[in-house]
Amino acid sequence: MSAEAAVAPEGEAGAGGLSTKSKALIGLGVYFAIAMLMLLIFGSSGKDESFQPQNEFKLEPWISIDIGGIDLSINKAVLYLVLASGLTIGTMTWISRRMTQRPNRVQTTVEVAYDLTRNNITGGNLDHATAVRWFPFLGALFFFIWFSNMIGFLPLPINTEHTVDILGLQVPAFALYAATANLSIPLVLTLVVWIAYHVEGIRAKGFVKYLQSWLPPGLEDKSIFLKGLIFVIEAISHFARLISLSVRLFANILAGHLLLLFMGGGLAVLLGIAALGALTFPLAFFFFILEVGLIATLQAFIFSTLTAIYIGGKPLDDRPRISTPTDDAPGAALVGARSLARSAARRSGHLHHPAWRVTPPQARKFEIDHLAKERCSQWTCPP
Amino acid sequence: MDLSPVAAAISDEGIEAAGKAIALGVGAGLGSIGAGIGIGIIFGKEIESVARQPEMKSELESIRWLGFALTEAVAFYTFIFGLIAFFL
Repeated sequence: MSAEAAVAPEGEAGAGGLSTKSKALIGLGVYFAIAMLMLLIFGSSGKDESFQPQNEFKLEPWISIDIGGIDLSINKAVLYLVLASGLTIGTMTWISRRMTQRPNRVQTTVEVAYDLTRNNITGGNLDHATAVRWFPFLGALFFFIWFSNMIGFLPLPINTEHTVDILGLQVPAFALYAATANLSIPLVLTLVVWIAYHVEGIRAKGFVKYLQSWLPPGLEDKSIFLKGLIFVIEAISHFARLISLSVRLFANILAGHLLLLFMGGGLAVLLGIAALGALTFPLAFFFFILEVGLIATLQAFIFSTLTAIYIGGKPLDDRPRISTPTDDAPGAALVGARSLARSAARRSGHLHHPAWRVTPPQARKFEIDHLAKERCSQWTCPP
Repeated sequence: MDLSPVAAAISDEGIEAAGKAIALGVGAGLGSIGAGIGIGIIFGKEIESVARQPEMKSELESIRWLGFALTEAVAFYTFIFGLIAFFL
């Protein structure tokens, strides 16, 4: 009685309806009540000693290939690699073959992603000549990592350890795995990037000048001893990039998959408390949306952005502030038109139908055939 | 107080397993504190800057995500090294 009286004054916010606070409290109460009910019904059953969470990430050789002591077996990581590269090549060529002036949704989405890789990742971090040379590499890197992250969240029949009997057919169980959740693949990508940016730096500046450019500016009048000390630190930091770039991608994807595994029932099985599953299962949905909606794209974006910064050879805070160059009139017009359209749409309440969706982005005129024209972009070639 | 059953239960394997579990928990937990503070600072400063200069919003967006991912990765470094200590 007294508890009800205490809740009542702040519970009456809307006319006749419950306030947000009491709705949230009721929801939370139901959530815990279901868990308690599960605990009463099932008790502490459901413990399974044979469940080993690390087996989800174990690579079982499907076709054993062993050349000179090096394990080159075909396993699920190889399948995911092939899928990701096939999707990267397939989507982009398929979209570019059937480009239309009035884009459908798929084309618009791919154009937005293309725009991101071209203007934001490449154009925003590199000067023009370097951007033109390295855009195909950075774009391919972004799309490859993005596709391998995204197919990592599709359940595919890859778990050959546990098979499911469907109509007398032994089908491998559906499981989540991502090629990027294995350290080898981010590490190989990082090694390619690491070698590429050193080669680009040496090619652009010359060997000695490139090594000198490792030193931060403002040390010209300092002693040779101090310069040497800072050079050693900078050299170590270049090697640390090997670890940070690869482990960042690997750890994010692995931690995401582990969270999904544990929240989606793994923790309940491991600890043998079935009721815990009722508590963690809604969290699995939350983390799935977070991973698919944010982390998968963000990690691809970060990897290619850092690659662009490394290739540009500039420290992080020395980036150009505006993503389109000042002499790029069509690009600036496009950006201006888009932001105008967006603000107009926001004001008139039509944000989900932005004005520029029906008018094809002006970029289409020169952007897509950029790949066909050698050493040529919207800034140098006449449209 | 007779502690002999406790002493008998303590084995080298038990101590090793306990140490690994503590390393994973404490390491990942402390790492998450730092990364959590860092991410909070990044988003807070970004809100501040957008409130000051709303026209910079689109340019700040990519910088914000860059900072967020770089900071968030720190938490995962500790987590992964904890896992390595735990399973290897």
